[in-house]
Amino acid sequence: MGLLTILKKMKQKEREMRLLMLGLDNAGKTTILKKFNGEDVSTISPTLGFNIKTLEHRGFKLNIWDVGGQKSLRSYWRNYFESTDGLVWVVDSADRLRLDDCRRELGALLLEERLAGATLLVFANKQDLPGALSKEAIREALALDDIKSHHWCVIGCSAVTGENLLAGVDWLLDDIAARIFTAD
Amino acid sequence: IRINDFLRGESGGSTVQERLQRRNQARLEDAERRKEAKQSRSVAEERTEYFFSTFNSERASIEEVLSGCSGADRAAVTQKLEEATVKTAELQKFLNDNMFVLNQYQLKTSQAALQKLQASIAETREEALPKKKFAFRARTKAADKAPVQVTATPPPADSGSDRADGPPASEQCGFSNVNNELLTKTAEEIQNRDVLLTHLTNCKVRLFGSPSTLHLKHIDGCEILCGPVATSVFVDRCRNSVLAFPCQQLRTHNTTDTRVYLHVTSRAIIEDCSGVSFAPFSWSYSGIEEDFTVSGLDRDRNNWSQVDDFNWLAAGLPSPNWTVIPEEDRKNTWDP
Repeated sequence: MGLLTILKKMKQKEREMRLLMLGLDNAGKTTILKKFNGEDVSTISPTLGFNIKTLEHRGFKLNIWDVGGQKSLRSYWRNYFESTDGLVWVVDSADRLRLDDCRRELGALLLEERLAGATLLVFANKQDLPGALSKEAIREALALDDIKSHHWCVIGCSAVTGENLLAGVDWLLDDIAARIFTAD
Repeated sequence: IRINDFLRGESGGSTVQERLQRRNQARLEDAERRKEAKQSRSVAEERTEYFFSTFNSERASIEEVLSGCSGADRAAVTQKLEEATVKTAELQKFLNDNMFVLNQYQLKTSQAALQKLQASIAETREEALPKKKFAFRARTKAADKAPVQVTATPPPADSGSDRADGPPASEQCGFSNVNNELLTKTAEEIQNRDVLLTHLTNCKVRLFGSPSTLHLKHIDGCEILCGPVATSVFVDRCRNSVLAFPCQQLRTHNTTDTRVYLHVTSRAIIEDCSGVSFAPFSWSYSGIEEDFTVSGLDRDRNNWSQVDDFNWLAAGLPSPNWTVIPEEDRKNTWDP
C-alpha cells in the first residue's frame, strides 16, 4: 500500500474538506457563508480578520474559512493557504471598475504553490443586481479560460437571495471528492 | 507495609500530621510555580526590550550606510547598497525569529519600519544608479496610428477589459464625468438598482429613492445625498466632499477631507483615508419613510460613530484618520 493510498484512506475516514473563500472586499464572501449556513445576512459588517464555519453537508464536514478582502488584509491571505482543498473566489459582478484588480489578485493566487492542488470555484455574485455582468462576461473578464493549472468552474449566484449557492458548493464538493477520496 | 498502613490509619494524630505536611508541601510547590511564572514573564519583557534595542540600533546603522551613499562614486555606492540590502534581510530574519515576543501592534510597526528601509534602499539605488531607460521604438508609431483606428472602426462594445475600465454600460444607473451641475434621480429610476457615480467634480447630487447598492469613485468637491441603500455603499478616491445616506455597510477607501452624514445598521470602515469625519444622517425628503421600508433598514439601529479603520490596529488608541463632527458644526438643513 503506497503512502498516497494511506493518506487517501485517512482523508476518506474523516470526510473532511477545507475550503478557503477569498475575493476583493465587498464581494459578498461573508454573506455567502452566512446565507449558506442559514443565518441572518442583514447585520453583516465588513470583515476585520476572518470567520470560520464548520458545517455538515452531504455527509462531508466542511471547514470554511472566510478571510477579509480589504487591501490591507490581502497580504495575510497566504497564512490560510495550507492544506486547502477548495478555493472559492467571490466576485462582485456589478463592480466593473475593479474587475482588473480582481483578475490580478486571482492570477497571483493561482501561482501559489500551496494552492496548487486546490479546486477553484468562481462565484459571480450579486446576480440580483440589474447592472451585474453575466457569468460569461465574468469568465471573459477574469480570463478564466486561460487557467490550466486548476480544475475550475464559474457559477452566477446571489448571496442575498441564495440563488445557486448550493449548486456551486455541490460542484466543488464533487470535484474535490473525486480527487482526494478513493472511488470505492 | 499493609500493617503499617493499617496502623497509620488507626492513629488519628499521625494522619493530621501527614495532612499538614502535605499541605505545606503543596504550598511550597505553589510558591515555586508562581516564582517561575513571574520569572518567565520578566524574561518575555526582557526579550521584547532586547528585541527593540537591537532592532533600532541595526536600523540606525543601515540608515547610516544609506546616507553615506549620496555623493559617493558608483563603485562605492554599489558596495554600500549591497551592504544595506544584506543587513536589511538579516533584520527581517531577526524580526521573523522574534515574532512571538511581540504583540500585534509592535509587529506591525516593526514591519512598517522595515518596509520603509527597503523603500529607501530602492530610492537610493534609483537615484545613484539609474536604470537605462528602455522603450520599444515601435511604440510611438503605434500611438500615432491608434486614433486613426478608433475613428475608422470603433472597438467592439463587449471586449472584456475595455468594459472594465470604460464608462458604465447602458444598463448601469448613475452619472459620470460631470462638472458643476445639479444631478437628480427619482425613486423609479434607482429602486433596487446598483447606482454608480464616477468622476464628478463640484456637483450636487440628489438621489431620491432606495437603490440596492451605491458606488462612488473619483469624487471631488461634491455634495451627494442619497436615500436608504439596502446593502452596501462603496466609496473610493473621494475628496473635499459631503456625503449623506443610510445603508447597511459603508466601505470607504483612499478618501480625504470628506464629511459623511451616516445611518449605518452594521458597520462603517475606512482604509487608506484621512480627514474623514462622521455625523448622524440628517437629510430628509418627502417619501423617505417609504424608501426606508423598501430598503429593509432598521431605523432604530445606527452605528454611525463606530468606524473601523483597517490601517489602525492599535487597540485602545483612537484612529487619527477619522473624527466625529462636533454637534455645533453639523449640517441640519440641506435644500431650502
